Amino acid sequence: MPQITQSAAEFDVVKYFLQLLEDDKDMSSGIAAIKTLLMILEKKQFGTIHILHTTMREAVAAMRNTDLSIAAIVSAGELFCRFITLSLDDKHMEECRQIMLNRGKIFLTKLLNSRQVISQQAQRFISDGCRILTHSRSRVVLKALIAASQNKKSFHVFVTQGGTGNSGEEMVQELQAMGIDCTLILDSATGYVMESVDFVMVGAEAVVESGGIINRIGSYTMGLCAREMKKPFYVLSESFKFSRLYPLNQRDLPNEYKYSRKHLNDVSKVHPLVDYTPPAYITLLFTDLGILTPSAVSDELIKLYM
Amino acid sequence: MREQPLREVTQLIHAIEMGLVEGSYSITNKTLDIFKYIIMSKSWQSAEALMQIVRAQSRILQAALPQETVTSNIARRILKMTREEFDLLQAKVQHFADDSQASLSLHKLVTQTSENCVSVDYSLPQQGLREALLDHLQEVETELETSSENISVQAEEHIHSSEIILTLGHSRSVENFLKRAIKKRQYLTIIVAECAPSCRGHNLAATLAQEKNVEIIVIPDASIFAMMSRVNKVIIGTHSVLANGGLRAACGAYTVALAAKHYSVPVIVLAPMYKLSPLHLCEQDAFNMVGCAEDVIAYDSLPARDAKVYSPIFDYVPPELVTLFISNTGGHAPSYVYRLLSELYHPEDLEI
Repeated sequence: MPQITQSAAEFDVVKYFLQLLEDDKDMSSGIAAIKTLLMILEKKQFGTIHILHTTMREAVAAMRNTDLSIAAIVSAGELFCRFITLSLDDKHMEECRQIMLNRGKIFLTKLLNSRQVISQQAQRFISDGCRILTHSRSRVVLKALIAASQNKKSFHVFVTQGGTGNSGEEMVQELQAMGIDCTLILDSATGYVMESVDFVMVGAEAVVESGGIINRIGSYTMGLCAREMKKPFYVLSESFKFSRLYPLNQRDLPNEYKYSRKHLNDVSKVHPLVDYTPPAYITLLFTDLGILTPSAVSDELIKLYM
Repeated sequence: MREQPLREVTQLIHAIEMGLVEGSYSITNKTLDIFKYIIMSKSWQSAEALMQIVRAQSRILQAALPQETVTSNIARRILKMTREEFDLLQAKVQHFADDSQASLSLHKLVTQTSENCVSVDYSLPQQGLREALLDHLQEVETELETSSENISVQAEEHIHSSEIILTLGHSRSVENFLKRAIKKRQYLTIIVAECAPSCRGHNLAATLAQEKNVEIIVIPDASIFAMMSRVNKVIIGTHSVLANGGLRAACGAYTVALAAKHYSVPVIVLAPMYKLSPLHLCEQDAFNMVGCAEDVIAYDSLPARDAKVYSPIFDYVPPELVTLFISNTGGHAPSYVYRLLSELYHPEDLEI
């Protein structure tokens, strides 16, 4: 286990990873994870692919042990490991490493651009004078809304508090700083405002194989309300958040996703942090791969992991 | 620089606006003829130039006829075809090892290298491109010609003897489909909702009534719900199919689909491939069109003085209400439409 055999190198992994997130508050933990893994690839020498693979897995495990929401780290890590196996040809190890580094950099540039692409796609759906409901804080939703406002559209945003913490308030402050009309509402007011909004737009921590999403607690409630009142429910998510999970209900979600690490020993008395919204409640997913219906997500994942 | 429409394009726009060319099949056919003419003309020397012309003309058509999505669909087909033929010819000349699936995917995101990341240069002149394109165009033309036939041969799989079928308005695909079914099956009852105010359902009923062994019932739109409880299947045509599997269909289609949902009656939509369009329902204003209100209420009648009268042409039907699409290539679930679209069009051509 990584915690027991924590060598100096692994200590660096976590430190570097956290430093990245500290330096750029706007960076997704998934991007930071990929950057960290690329760094390891660059810094270290590997005798065999097997060693490389083990090192990567250990690094991912170490990053999982930080106190961040792990969904994006897991899916990004998995994507990166997949990407190592896909680059395996009958080549020399050093040659392989170069190819991987090269690909990794292109991959990263694409990922860094993804929020831009997504917010561009969402523009046509945000019409002038519309009313939008969003859940808590999501950086990609924020970016899309700011872009729409810069396109001279005026609209009103309802932001839920998003459970414990003050993420909803942060979102409201950031929107107001950009001159966007918004209202902070209680999570329990979702049903109340639903009749007056035109559509719901949320981010996601992870998109699962069924096309459903894992997101901050309360998203499922919002999806249910939106379905009942026939409002479109849009999800904005980068493609590195696609994960290989297939939950059928809330209980199927792994505990590491639902609870923070300090509560993992006894979860019977703590409140979950995320919930699963099944694909039936999602109208469309805006990703850097295009605007997808939930059923298209599983297709993408199958293409990659087959 | 403003693009100038070709003379043929202007003529087509005029003909469609005057109602001389009607129905999406004829419009598609005429548009294809224009593009064929462009391909045959000597005005382009490279694939890039051809694509420019096709895009420009298609934009003009789209701006003049915003409701006729088929014109853009066929332009997208031509663009994709040009790309494919160009890549193919390029690959023959220089061993261009590239999987031609250009669509974005997670898999590609992970495996790409800087070499095949470079986009293809379409501006190079290419020998034999014109011939290859004309060959390919022949295939598209054949597909278009046989699409109605290919849809109607599937009638036997879906319609059985002594069933009660409900349809709305007058779609040519539905007409052929039902005629085929009447020939093959006995004791069918076909209920036709008239689709006021144009009442095109009357024409369909008149045509079908000439066949033997079939009972035709014409109903006003208001009794759709009342009749639905005894219907076995709903079969309708559509104006176009949207990217999420929803329909832009004749006004009244939503009523039919909702009534069918209430009684759990399957809704089958006949949509040839050229009606599949990669658009989403987002700009509500551009989606619908209001028709002539004279048919709803006579202009010289007393209430017409004070009342506002609207006659919308289209309905949006969400994909949840559609059971099955039947296209010329077979039956598809609404959730599968995105897949068909990614096979049909190139991702860079979605915005023309």
